Amino acid sequence: MPVRDLLLRCRYNLIPEHLIGEVLTKRWTDNAIPFLALVITIVGFGTAIPGFFQLQSLSDSTRQLGEFSIVVTGLTIVMLGGGIDLSVGSIFALSAFAAVSAFFIFEQPTWIALLAALIVGGAFGAFNGFLVGYAGLRAFLTTLVTFIIGRAIYDILVVNYAAKIQLSMMSSDVWDFIGDGTVFGLAISVLAAIMLALVAHIMLSRSRPGWHILAVGGSRRSAHNAGIRVRRAVFATYVISGLCCGIAGFLLACRLSGTGPGTGLNLEIMALTAAVVGGNSLGGGRGSIMKGIMGAVIVLVTTNGLIRLGYGTGTNQMVLGLMLAAAVILDIRWLKNRHKVLNELYVAPIHHRMGETQSAEPQADSPYALNDRLSQATPIGLGDLEGPEDVILDHDDHLYCGTRHGEIIRFFAPDYRRSEVFAHTGGFPLGLAFDRAGNLISCVGAMGLYSIAPDGIVTKLTAETSRSLTSVVDDARLRDPNDCDVAPDGRIFFTDSTKRYDAHDWALDSIEGRPTGRLLCYHPATEKTETLLDRYRYANGVCIAHDGQSLFFAESWACRVHRYWFDGPKVGTVECVIKDMPGYPDNINRASDGTYWMAWLGMRTPSFDLSLRHPGMRKRMTRRLPQDDWLFPNINTGGVVKFDENGRVIETLGDLAGAAHPMVTSMREHKGELFIGGILNNRIGRYVIPGANQRWTGLRSYWGEDR
Amino acid sequence: MIFDPILNLFRGRAITIPPYDGAFRPNTALETAEILHEVAAPDNLCQTKDRILLTSGCDLLQIDPAGAACMSLAVYPAPITSLAISPDGKQALSLADGRLLIDGETIQLSPEIRCITALSFDADDHLYLCNGSDSRPTTDWAVDLMEKGCRGSVWQISPDGRQPNCLARNLAWPSGILVQQERLVVSEGWRHRLFSMAKSGGQPVPMLDKIPGYPGRLTPSRFGGAWLAIFAPRNRLVEFILQEDDYRRDMMREIPRSQWIAPSLVPSNSFLDPLQCGAIKTMGVRKPWAPGRSYGLAVRLDAELQPIASYHSRADGTHHGITSIAEIDGHIWVAACGGNRLLDLGAVHELGAV
Repeated sequence: MPVRDLLLRCRYNLIPEHLIGEVLTKRWTDNAIPFLALVITIVGFGTAIPGFFQLQSLSDSTRQLGEFSIVVTGLTIVMLGGGIDLSVGSIFALSAFAAVSAFFIFEQPTWIALLAALIVGGAFGAFNGFLVGYAGLRAFLTTLVTFIIGRAIYDILVVNYAAKIQLSMMSSDVWDFIGDGTVFGLAISVLAAIMLALVAHIMLSRSRPGWHILAVGGSRRSAHNAGIRVRRAVFATYVISGLCCGIAGFLLACRLSGTGPGTGLNLEIMALTAAVVGGNSLGGGRGSIMKGIMGAVIVLVTTNGLIRLGYGTGTNQMVLGLMLAAAVILDIRWLKNRHKVLNELYVAPIHHRMGETQSAEPQADSPYALNDRLSQATPIGLGDLEGPEDVILDHDDHLYCGTRHGEIIRFFAPDYRRSEVFAHTGGFPLGLAFDRAGNLISCVGAMGLYSIAPDGIVTKLTAETSRSLTSVVDDARLRDPNDCDVAPDGRIFFTDSTKRYDAHDWALDSIEGRPTGRLLCYHPATEKTETLLDRYRYANGVCIAHDGQSLFFAESWACRVHRYWFDGPKVGTVECVIKDMPGYPDNINRASDGTYWMAWLGMRTPSFDLSLRHPGMRKRMTRRLPQDDWLFPNINTGGVVKFDENGRVIETLGDLAGAAHPMVTSMREHKGELFIGGILNNRIGRYVIPGANQRWTGLRSYWGEDR
Repeated sequence: MIFDPILNLFRGRAITIPPYDGAFRPNTALETAEILHEVAAPDNLCQTKDRILLTSGCDLLQIDPAGAACMSLAVYPAPITSLAISPDGKQALSLADGRLLIDGETIQLSPEIRCITALSFDADDHLYLCNGSDSRPTTDWAVDLMEKGCRGSVWQISPDGRQPNCLARNLAWPSGILVQQERLVVSEGWRHRLFSMAKSGGQPVPMLDKIPGYPGRLTPSRFGGAWLAIFAPRNRLVEFILQEDDYRRDMMREIPRSQWIAPSLVPSNSFLDPLQCGAIKTMGVRKPWAPGRSYGLAVRLDAELQPIASYHSRADGTHHGITSIAEIDGHIWVAACGGNRLLDLGAVHELGAV
């Protein structure tokens, strides 16, 4: 191998570049940046301030953290619903005042104080919610107004009643316990915050009201169209936020046994910073309670750390402002460009040198030389049919095929003019096979392996296999099940062409060239699926050999055919039977004379083969050109090739002009005729095979004479 | 902006080409045009006072205006690359082997003029010629493009046939020339533009750029303005390959030329030709807007050399590779080199009446 090829292989085949794209498809990558910020903050202040994380110094800040997290949780819910709440600081202060006055001035028990705090918080929340949700005012201005009014009321009250509270002799063990006590070493406020976060998380991620809030935040219009009561959902978020402030205010009241002019001052800025820095989108719909909590920790550690380092309020505010700005910019840019980044990075081509091949040109002296015989095929379903990837015939000579609309169509013998929808699968039915009982087994693209009973009832057999240990993206799911065949004992062998792309993106797989195709086996007795072979370049057609002990399968992008033994003395072994063909093989099926038919979906071109040795060029191509301009294998010309057990090519059929059968993906011999399908074609071809056995059918070859 | 060099690192580097829009809006006029003759690779079309001449490979043909027959006038030892007739009937003809013949006599030229792509006489019998490249023959035009050649030149030969006078150099495949009263208009293939310059040489002035194809021969119209033959389309993949030096070098070394990712006059007819995703035949149909290596496009230019009308044979058509256009007896005749046909687009209308 030339040195340059070797270097390219090191660069593109050894470095697992595809993992970057796979990691980015994960939802949790959204959390990565806030999490990183959290780690940096904690480690940064932890090392800068000796003893920052000692229990003594933590005990007060954890209580503070508990109260603050509760406020942030409320605000996060509002933001997830697409709103914003600037009044959390005022509501918090007023609630604290309500609790304190209920307890110290009116000398009520603690639970009444809690109730007072909740009523005040809920009432202000409802005020916000009514104006924003039902009256349709702007969230920003409305909550700003509530903030100003609330603050003003609080200032008046504090001035007039502070002395009265100071003089009160009221005391209660419950009150003191909530303020100072711990349970399992955790402060009450922290416990309350954890419980509230859990409840809120479960509500948002697992319950109908939570989903409604997220849906409204994601797209108000769509939520409305889906029948969600948008106004009520918005109203609810503000009430929840108000109640959260109520709880937090009550906890503060218990801790400090009083309120001062500074209570809740600038809390809205801190809470907003926390929610956004944690990674909750300002636009709504994207985020989680966990992110809010992460943000709360970052903000509180930062502010406390700065105070401990001796910086004043001004610096503190400045840092918060800068963090908010950075988070907002990151949020917007990331949201806008995430899919672009993913598109840029996902396709990661590798280097591959295709073997020298014999020519398939019509004048060539090679067994592969194509001819024009397929152009003589008479069409079936011309103009009605779209995308018959595979075709198959039953005992009564009826013809079945899948279509790109997700249906399995049955054409009635003998002239195949009449047709009906036999079954609807919902996906794109690709490979077809009959089992012994007469069920039609189909690989449905992007869905899995399905069985269709003679009465048209569709049953899923399998859509997954066991996950491999090193996978990043879950490869248990079948992404591109392609062709199947049934062994004499009922086992179903089928291929899953690629783990990297969904069925409709198969072309990207050809450009990437990564071997991720699998041969799988479904055991009907145990209903288990096992992976037999892995790492093939687009595993495609499967055909049980005439011996009933082995199968042939095609490896499309490598232009090879392999034989795998599932029974007999050579069980478990695999051999390459044909390699370096000039065309890309697709489905394989039995022929009446003991040999096999193989479809060619397209032809190798020198320019594409060369590009396989230039992975960088292919990578840049996918980034700089729109998909319509990408270089492809030539799939405007295909063909049918007949080969025997030893891989010797016997004959070829082609349609060089491509008027009738440009791309051939399958063919099925039946009573002396060959039925030809193509995934991008608008017909099934019917070609009379000269000298073929007029009685032979695939079904008899598999299952004998009896039905 | 001063930050551009830094920002460019983060910007997309999408490759774009001018769309078929405005005057270039697609139609099927060329595809449905009347077929006058089936001729193998018709190239340069010329009209004298009494005859219509057409080059086709090594043959010089005479066309009967009534459309009855093509008659071979002469067969040359090498393919004819261009043809011009002076107002008083002098005939200039260039061959792929680099020779220039005026009325049958070989003219001595400097060795760098070996690639004559277009010829034109002015009223004073001066001959102007476009030399596509100083090292490649005309038939190697695709090689010159893939090598990003810009060693073409424009020359003037005086009526007495003395040593030619170079008017412009370092052009990227000049492939068409239009002689006007005071100026010359030259089409520069690989730069997709037309420029004008004084007859005595001097600074080129861009007239029309961002042409969605490779401009070739120019012919005057009797209503003013001109006809421009666009012999191949621009294609994003080709422009991309032009940036991929390693791939392009390997491609030129290892792959037969007809199978290159390069423009072509002839519509693809082999499964070994490169295929682009958009050109996949789906449900028996090839999209007319599919990207391809060949296209048929004839353009009418107004007196300011701005396009006012265009005639297309699209990706699903066959009348590709337009190499020359001529107004003959009030009709527009088009030579579709890749389609092997001589076409009649119908009667010429006055400017503005199109």
